[in-house]
Amino acid sequence: MNNFQVVAIIGLTVLSGATVVAHLRRWMRRGPCVFWCGLWIAAGAACLWPNKMSSVAHLLGIGRGADLVSYCGIVAMLVGFWMVYIRLLRLRREVTLTVRRLAILEAQRVYESGEHSEDDRLESKDEPMS
Amino acid sequence: MNETVLSSELMQQTFIVVPAYNENDCIEGVIRELRLTRANVVVVDDGSTDETYDTARREATFVLRHVVNRGQGAALQTGIEFSLSQGARFIVTFDADGQHQVEDVPRLLQPIVRGECDVCLGSRFLGESIGMPWVRKMTLRLGVLFTRISSGVKLTDAHNGLRAFSQRAARQICITLDGMAHASELIDIISHAGLIYQEVPVSIRYTKRSLTKGQSPWNAFRIVFDYLLSRTSK
Repeated sequence: MNNFQVVAIIGLTVLSGATVVAHLRRWMRRGPCVFWCGLWIAAGAACLWPNKMSSVAHLLGIGRGADLVSYCGIVAMLVGFWMVYIRLLRLRREVTLTVRRLAILEAQRVYESGEHSEDDRLESKDEPMS
Repeated sequence: MNETVLSSELMQQTFIVVPAYNENDCIEGVIRELRLTRANVVVVDDGSTDETYDTARREATFVLRHVVNRGQGAALQTGIEFSLSQGARFIVTFDADGQHQVEDVPRLLQPIVRGECDVCLGSRFLGESIGMPWVRKMTLRLGVLFTRISSGVKLTDAHNGLRAFSQRAARQICITLDGMAHASELIDIISHAGLIYQEVPVSIRYTKRSLTKGQSPWNAFRIVFDYLLSRTSK
């Protein structure tokens, strides 16, 4: 095992552990936990047995195992970005709905209780007499 | 002018929604002019950092405040929902920057009042636009073409903020795009819901201030991106 493999395996083991801990602490559901653990294990396997990766790459018509890893990495990154962006959009929509609900409830409270006209009366009282 | 005068009773059932973001310089004048129509003026302050909210509160019938800036589309939907909750029969949307003319409001409402359509969309290209730079004109023309391709709706002005809705139409409207892409989404909603619409000539007066504060032509790309993304992510 070369130095890179050692560092990569340690890093991936830490990531796998963190993913499992996140699931146990209920920060992550089972589905995403299985997905991420699978990804870390696949990355570890690719580091440990690069020759096997080359065989898989040949089967898929790609020259080298390293190229296969790069292509998979790029695709995974793009899909990841897209998923995060979609989730961000959903979050923004939820923020908007919350902000809207607050605005409408506050306005209904103010105008239905007559607080608005009371404020106006107080404001006009505050104005200096000309 | 007489043919565009609507009864006081009808105007009292009309709610004019004015989305405003940092419009303290001109919001007062806009609201005062709108109040002359006897309609209810609903200002939605979209998280302004200036005195827009306080100024609007002195002048408008109703003022709502977004605690954080969410965009014009979001502010319009808030105003529409609030107006419906207050029993609005007709809803007009009107920009806060003073580009629109108050005289156009009854003109927009008349076809709806007569029952000819559910939605009236203002068109500066059927009416007049004073001081419109050619870049803006080109961008808007491209917007019209884009709307024609994406929604299949033939309009002369797809991004005019001056619009009128019947209560029935307003109930079917649910703007989900917070930013400026809401204009294209609105056309989609009108088309999908099978609402009858009409274009009405209106006047737009561009001022130095409105041009400085208004949309950059480059923002058109973002609008197209937001709109297309919303269609794929729904």
